Amino acid sequence: MKPIILQGHERALTQIVYNAEGDLLFSASKDNIINVWFTSNGERLGTYNGHNGSVWSVACDSQTKYLLSGAADNTMKLWEVSTGKCLKTWEYRTAVKRVAYSADDDLILSITEQRQGQPSVIRIYRIDREAGSSQSDTPLKEIILTGSKATVAVFSPLSDFVITGHENGKVAKYDIKTGEEVKSVSPEDGEGHRAEITDMQLSPDGTYLITSSKDKTARIFDSLNIEEMKVYVTETPLNSACITPVRPYVILGGGQDAMSVTTTSQRAGKFESRFWHKIFEEEVGRVRGHFGPINTLSVHPGGKGYASGSEDGFVRVHWFDDSYFKSRPFGDLEPDLEI
Amino acid sequence: MASYQKHTDWAADEDAEPELPPDTETTTPDGITTIITWKLDEKGRKVKHTRRVRRKMVTQVVSHAAAERKKWPKRVSRFVSHRIGADGNRFGDDKGRPSGPDRKTTIIGENIHLKIGPVSKAEPVEQEQTAKVPVGKAVVCRLCKGAHFTAKCPYKDQLAALENLELGDEEPAPAAPSGMSGLGARGAGTTGKYVPPSQRGGPGAAGGGESMYRNRDDLPTLRVTSLSLDAEDDDLRALFEPFGRVARANVVRDRETRVSKGFGFVSFDNKANAETALNRMDGFGYDSLIISVSWSQPREQRQG
Repeated sequence: MKPIILQGHERALTQIVYNAEGDLLFSASKDNIINVWFTSNGERLGTYNGHNGSVWSVACDSQTKYLLSGAADNTMKLWEVSTGKCLKTWEYRTAVKRVAYSADDDLILSITEQRQGQPSVIRIYRIDREAGSSQSDTPLKEIILTGSKATVAVFSPLSDFVITGHENGKVAKYDIKTGEEVKSVSPEDGEGHRAEITDMQLSPDGTYLITSSKDKTARIFDSLNIEEMKVYVTETPLNSACITPVRPYVILGGGQDAMSVTTTSQRAGKFESRFWHKIFEEEVGRVRGHFGPINTLSVHPGGKGYASGSEDGFVRVHWFDDSYFKSRPFGDLEPDLEI
Repeated sequence: MASYQKHTDWAADEDAEPELPPDTETTTPDGITTIITWKLDEKGRKVKHTRRVRRKMVTQVVSHAAAERKKWPKRVSRFVSHRIGADGNRFGDDKGRPSGPDRKTTIIGENIHLKIGPVSKAEPVEQEQTAKVPVGKAVVCRLCKGAHFTAKCPYKDQLAALENLELGDEEPAPAAPSGMSGLGARGAGTTGKYVPPSQRGGPGAAGGGESMYRNRDDLPTLRVTSLSLDAEDDDLRALFEPFGRVARANVVRDRETRVSKGFGFVSFDNKANAETALNRMDGFGYDSLIISVSWSQPREQRQG
């Protein structure tokens, strides 16, 4: 496969996401802008200019109508995807580290950073899909976190819970109606991740999710009971992980910290996207190419390809070859094509 | 006379009224399209821009919503957009840019082969060590047993003291220490010291540091001729994969038409595997042709 290399950012990538059909890719970076690309040929459709700080997170609705972004300038913005117009800005006391859309496009969430005496807060808003710029300023629910701050979060498939990943490695599930913690897997009980959770992505059907962590492992949790199902142990801190639809693999990305990059050779740095078998927890392949640690991974919703964004400022969009779809790394043990 | 004065500089004449020839597009029967476009550069000179491309129709089924989005940047034809200064539905930094990928932001990377199969972690390490063994037997450093003169030993300072200790011993250390690991074992206390990449892995390691590209002639390579014109790189790889790990397999193609020239090259990681492949595949029938396999000659030998 020949990757399409996108060099639209001047600084490290923070998050990339495909839209629901997989024809567009949104990339957010520390250089304050968000780019949107056509994945088929790498053409850039436009940029969303307006943030005054590193854009930490982006999320797109299932209709590709609105784009949500959270940045270090203490704002969350809602954009119109097709025109690049900023429709709405929410302002906070601290930086927005993560944003997410619910599966039915009705709810959004923002996680604000714990800083200057401000606690880490998850705010959930209702979005009016027809209203455009007149969106509500008051959150539907505020979940004020005690203890370790939240770094990542997703909505559960039925949009009744929020599943969060925390700085100390805790994975927890909060009820949206009551704002209370329902379930959790915490390192204090000797379970789950041991260090900061860097990314969390749902499986195609939403019944389980993958988390990546600085403790050099990625884990799959069941999204109903937050039970650990699989563990993938690697040698480097992980920054991102995703689950491939169609084929039974997970893709992990990481590398040592940006600080120590200059003292390590590219080969030893492990700046590769690593494919692991989802069921057997065995590594099955690697894709090299980046010059810095991979910060974010995103998989095509149809399972036809994936993209990686790195600390080196590049996004690489890969379309899988036929051999990928035909591969059976463990012979006939595994089931036929998943749908 | 005044008007003549204005035009003393013959080159300025062009500046005054830039008239660009129309853009042309011609297609030859073998499918190569030549696109000639004319532009004015910042000094007002005419610049002819010729591109030779081969267009290939690829049909892709996408959802209705995605098909609609594809039209977003394409409201105005590419050939007029740069003159009227407006184009489609672009926004932000791309407002008014012509449609199609911009070479400043989008490039196509080199081919990467993703092979899905169990990854054995020990493999690459072994390979590097075997590569080191046959290097330079003639010169051996008395201090670190590397392949260089003792006077040039990079560990001269650290090992001088140790060498004095060992002088009395008839028998040298059981395993010739190679590199930092060997030194560490001897307690030379070099941990944490910066070692340039060219000297990493010991002074015996050949070569001037790590190279981004492995030399083509490093690997045992087979030349496969009388190959079917329909064979792709992946077919060639699949054909030779049973004999061992194939590092690279490529079919040689015409630069412009991309039609196969009927031969290709297969590189193995391992010489023994290449040899079995050579013996087994020479004369093998593939796609109604009998392929012939031989060792590939390095570039300079072929010319001489």
